[in-house]
Amino acid sequence: MITFNNLKKSYSRNVVLEINSLDIPKGQAFGLVGNNGAGKTTLFSLLLDLIKPTKGKVINNNIDVKESEDWKSFTSAFLDESFLISYLLPEEYFYFIGDLRGVSKREVNNFLNQFEDLFNGEILGGKKYIRDLSKGNQKKVGIIAALIGSPKIIILDEPFANLDPTTQIRLKKIIKKLAEEKETTVLFSSHDLQDMTEVSERIVLLEKGKIVRDIKTDSKTLKELEEYFTKE
Amino acid sequence: MFRLTSLQWKSFFRSASVASGLFSKIIMFFWIIYATLMSLALGFIHGVGGSVVDPEGDRYPDPFSWINEEIFYLLGYLIIFRYIFQKIPVLNIRALLLTPLKKSKVIRYAMNQTFFSMFNLIAVFYLIPFSLFLISEPENGSFELLNIAMWNISIFAIVYTTNFTNILLNKKDRLVIGIGILLASMKGLEYFEILDFSIYSKIIFNSFYETPIFVVIPIALLAYTYLSVHRFFTNNLSIDTGLNVEVKEAKMNNFNWLDSFGNMSVFLKNDLRLIMRTKRARSATIMGALFVLYGFIFMGADEVYGDTGVFFGLLFSTGGFMMTFCGMVPSWDSKHYPLMMCQNITYLDYLKSKWYLGLIGTLLMTILASIIYSYFGLFYVVAVICSGLYNIGLNSFFTLWSGAFNRMAIDLDSNKNAFGDKKAFNSKTLILMIPQLIVPLVVYYFVSKSFDEFIAAYCVGILGLTGIFFRNIFFNIIVKTYKSQKYSALDAYKQTN
Repeated sequence: MITFNNLKKSYSRNVVLEINSLDIPKGQAFGLVGNNGAGKTTLFSLLLDLIKPTKGKVINNNIDVKESEDWKSFTSAFLDESFLISYLLPEEYFYFIGDLRGVSKREVNNFLNQFEDLFNGEILGGKKYIRDLSKGNQKKVGIIAALIGSPKIIILDEPFANLDPTTQIRLKKIIKKLAEEKETTVLFSSHDLQDMTEVSERIVLLEKGKIVRDIKTDSKTLKELEEYFTKE
Repeated sequence: MFRLTSLQWKSFFRSASVASGLFSKIIMFFWIIYATLMSLALGFIHGVGGSVVDPEGDRYPDPFSWINEEIFYLLGYLIIFRYIFQKIPVLNIRALLLTPLKKSKVIRYAMNQTFFSMFNLIAVFYLIPFSLFLISEPENGSFELLNIAMWNISIFAIVYTTNFTNILLNKKDRLVIGIGILLASMKGLEYFEILDFSIYSKIIFNSFYETPIFVVIPIALLAYTYLSVHRFFTNNLSIDTGLNVEVKEAKMNNFNWLDSFGNMSVFLKNDLRLIMRTKRARSATIMGALFVLYGFIFMGADEVYGDTGVFFGLLFSTGGFMMTFCGMVPSWDSKHYPLMMCQNITYLDYLKSKWYLGLIGTLLMTILASIIYSYFGLFYVVAVICSGLYNIGLNSFFTLWSGAFNRMAIDLDSNKNAFGDKKAFNSKTLILMIPQLIVPLVVYYFVSKSFDEFIAAYCVGILGLTGIFFRNIFFNIIVKTYKSQKYSALDAYKQTN
C-alpha cells in the first residue's frame, strides 16, 4: 500500500530522515515511536507531500505522492491544529470535509451520531467556533473529521496526547476495529509505549531519522521497547 | 529595553521570508523618504504663502490664519488615516508575562515604539519648515518667536495625543466612521456656505499663539491620553481580561444558495464565513468597498493629473475588493494550508473559487461605481465599466498569480486580544499592486493621446475581455506557479503559526 523508497530528507547537511526501504501493507495498524527529533512528523509530512524529499520517493497505492495528487482522494490525516479551519463551526467543518470526500450532509450527520458521547454536548449544536473550543476538543474534531468518508489511509500524529480518557479508549477501539477489518491502513505515532503496543500490529522505532527496530507486536513488545528507551 | 528590541530584530531576520520582508521594507523606506520630502516641501511652500495647486497664482496673504483654519480638519483626517494605516504596537506579550521584566516596562516599550511613527514625523517635518519660513517671509507680517514655538509645541502635543488615542480607538470602527461622517458633513456645510467651522478652528488654534500659556492644555491632554493607554494596557495584561478571547455566540451559515457553483461552492461558502466571522477579512472587505470613492480624489484635481489620473482612480474604484481581499490569497488560508494541501482539492478549483469571489466583488463594485460616477457624464460610466472589465479579466489573474509568492501568514485569531495585530490590511499589498496597474495606464495614456479617451477606455476594456477569454491558459500558469511554490509557502506559514 505505502512504500518508502531510498527516502532521504536533509536540511543543509543535517540528515533528519533516511529510510532505505519500508513497506506498509494494506490494512495494517502501523505505529511509529521515537524520541523528539527522531523524524516521525517528517515521515508523515513526506507521505502527505507537505515537504519535499531530498532524495527518493514515497509511493502511496502506486502513486508517487510528489508527482500526482490522486492520493488525496483516499488519504486523510490529522497532524496538528493546522488541519482545522478555526473560523468554522465544528459541523460546518465536518460538512466541508465531507463535501471534499463526496459524503453528503446526511451521511456526515449519521456518521457523527456514533460519537455523540465523546462530544459531551460541547462540540455539536454548540455555539462555539472551532477557534473557541478547548485544545482537547479541537483535537477530537480533527481526528473525527479524519475518519469521515472511510478513507483507505488514515495518518494521525500523536493522536492520544491531550485527549480525555474516554476519547482515548474509544479511539483505540476504532483503530483496532479498522485493523481487524483489514480495509484501512492506519499510521500513527505516540510517545506512550503502552498505547502503542496496545493498538498497533507493527511498530517501527525511529532514532535520529533511521529505522532501528521493526517489530511485529506481541506480548513481549512492551518490555522490549521499554528496555530500549531505558538503556539510553 | 534593548533586550525587547533585539527580540523584534530576531523575529524579523529569522522569519521565513526575510527577502520579501526586506523588499517591502525597502519600498516602505522609499515611501518614508518621499513623505518626508513632501512634508518638508509643503511646509516650505505653505510657509511662504504659496499654493501647490496653482504655483503661478497670487500668494496667500496670511498663511498663519490659513493653517489655523485648516488644522482642525487636518487633525481629523490624521485620526482617520492613523486608524486605517498605522500599525498598533504588537508584542508577544504572553511570553513576556512571566519574565522578570516589569510589566510597566513592557508596556512602555510597546507604546514608545509608536513614537517615531511616520504619522507623527510628517507633522514635525511639515510644521517646522512652515514655521521657519512663516517668520522669515516679511510679507507674512511679524511673529513672536516664543509664541510660535509654543504654538508648535501645542500642535505636536495634539498630534501625539491622536497617536495614543489611535491605540484606544482600535476596535471602534463605528466611532471612527462617525468621525469621518462628521468631518465630511462639516466640510459640506462649509462648502455650501451654510456654516463655517473653520472660524472656530482659527480661534482655537490661534489662541495657542496669542496666549502661549495655553500650551499646558494640549500637554495635559497628551499626558492624560498617555496614562490612559498605559492603564488600558495594564488592565488588559492578564490572561483572563485583555489577553483573553472574547467568545461570541456562534451562528451556523449554510449558504445553500451557493450550491449552484458546483465544486467551487464549498470554498465560496468558507470564504463568505471567513469574511463574516473574522475581523481581518471583514475589514479588508470594507476597505475594499470604500475604494469605490477613490476616483473622486483624482477627479477633484484632474487639472493636475489629467484624464489618465482619473482613469487610474477608477481602476481602484472598481478593483478595491480584488486588491484588498484577493491580494491576500492564499494568506487567508495560511493557518490551515497543510489541511488544504492534503484534502481532495485541486489547486484549480481552489483558485477558481477565489477568482469567482473576486469577480462577484468586482462586479458589485463596478455596478456601484457606475451609478455613483454616472452623475459626471457618459465617459465616466464607460471608464468605470472598462476598468471593471480590466480588473476582472487581467488584474485578477495578476493578483492571484503574485499570491503564489505571498509568504505573509495571517493569524486570523490574533486580533482578539488587546495586543493583537488588528490591522485589516497592510500597506504592503497595496504598494505591490501598483505595478499591476501600469499596463492599463500606459495603454490608456497612449491611445487617448493619439485618438480619444473613449477609445482608450474601450481598449483597456477589450484587454480585460481577452483576459476572460484566455482564462484557462492563465489558470494553468497560475496553478503551475502555485505548485512550484507549495513547499516554501507551507514552510513559511508553518514558521509564523
